[in-house]
Amino acid sequence: MSAHAVANEFAKMRRLRNGLIAAAMVAAVAGLSLLATVTSPAFAAPGGRVWAVPLAAMSFAVPLASPPLLAVLASRQVDIEHQGGGWLLNQTSGIAPGGLCRAKFAALGLIVAAATVLESGLVLGAGLLLGIAAPVPAGLWLGFTGCVLVANLVLLAVHLLLAALIDNQLVGLGVGLLGTVVAVFAAGLPPALTHTTPWGYYALAAAAGYQGERLVAFTPAYPSTAALGVLAAVSFVLITALFDRRES
Amino acid sequence: MGAVHAEFLKLKRSLAWTVVALLPAAMAVAGAVNTIAAGQQPEDGWHTVWLRSAVFYGLFPLATGIGILASLVWRVEHRGGNWNALMSGPVSSLRIVAAKAAVVAVLAAAMQAVLLAAVIAVGRLAFALPGMPPARYFWISLLIMLACVPVAVLQSGLSMLMRSFAGPIAVAFLGAAAAVVMLMAELPAAVLVPYALIGRATQLGTGTFGDTGAITPWAVATTAIAAVVLTAALTAATTAVLNRRDTRA
Repeated sequence: MSAHAVANEFAKMRRLRNGLIAAAMVAAVAGLSLLATVTSPAFAAPGGRVWAVPLAAMSFAVPLASPPLLAVLASRQVDIEHQGGGWLLNQTSGIAPGGLCRAKFAALGLIVAAATVLESGLVLGAGLLLGIAAPVPAGLWLGFTGCVLVANLVLLAVHLLLAALIDNQLVGLGVGLLGTVVAVFAAGLPPALTHTTPWGYYALAAAAGYQGERLVAFTPAYPSTAALGVLAAVSFVLITALFDRRES
Repeated sequence: MGAVHAEFLKLKRSLAWTVVALLPAAMAVAGAVNTIAAGQQPEDGWHTVWLRSAVFYGLFPLATGIGILASLVWRVEHRGGNWNALMSGPVSSLRIVAAKAAVVAVLAAAMQAVLLAAVIAVGRLAFALPGMPPARYFWISLLIMLACVPVAVLQSGLSMLMRSFAGPIAVAFLGAAAAVVMLMAELPAAVLVPYALIGRATQLGTGTFGDTGAITPWAVATTAIAAVVLTAALTAATTAVLNRRDTRA
């Protein structure tokens, strides 16, 4: 994978409006987090303006908004190759399909990483503006953002591979939509089940949540998320290496 | 009817059935699995099963699912020379728009029927609930089917305008997110936004997201009237847009 190939992917994005979709992801996560914060009964209670409220709101908004929009991003970035014979064109110019997938991941990954950090920063800023006086739990906030970033990048890789393997965009977007259902309901599943799908890791990343009416702080599952990141990175490299040997 | 039949024929190998069957079934199963994992029983019988299946389904997955179906219906027209064939054919713009939207609306109605069947299956098999759900859930399902029609027309129009398969689906998702905000803010104008209308219909009688929990004739009538008015307005607008479109070089 060369810097030139990554730059090419950024050039392709201009007409795909992927930046707009990433901005929509930021707006959806930040907007839903803000809405869930200000409408939370815990936030309205005397002494209830604590950081756990926006953290719980973001732990709810991220699994809701990220999976479908990540599926859309990956699907659009790969579909142009299916439509315009891009796999063959790139292969004849020295970029094998696996390398092209890695370039797409590098380019989209940068955008997704920026979007993830931005949405986290916006919710943090909103919390300060809403008058949360307690010190910011910086370690927990960074840990949560890091875990969400890993889950987002893993899902992006999954959708890129799916879109590269299957021409029909229905499959990738359908999986993204069903994944959203899994991500939202994973919070109520036993941890053993939550670990079995990449969407479940949003629930494992949660920094706060509600048990009945009670607001509870959680510790994100750092070891599990790190293990997922390593496993996904190795799998992505191996699978894209297999793509390199495939004829277009 | 010929145009509608032709549209269904085009969908034959499109795998549209996977969205129609899997999405609502997954919602009902996910709600049941959550209840069982929490070691609970549906406290309020059929109402709890309905609540856990339909509330979230109506907020995001339903609009996004309709978006996918509309993209599937229009995908074939954006490939090869099919757009030019469509533009140069003898079928009027109104008939094309109405036939495409009708197919999407019928598939959305089928999704609601699957959801209701899945709720019944989950209630009886997972929780051993007696009998059938109360009749009001069947009537609400009919209202949801009606509320889906303007969303079907809108998404069909977006998929007509955008050659991208995924673009209109992203719009549906963001529209649904905006609708959640409108419903929670209890804005009366929400009834004029198609995405909020399906949210309102699916929350009817649940007491969630701005719903009072009561199924009043006023709530049913405003939802039904808004669905009819929005369908007519969106169909007219989409037809006018298609009338101004031409063949592509």
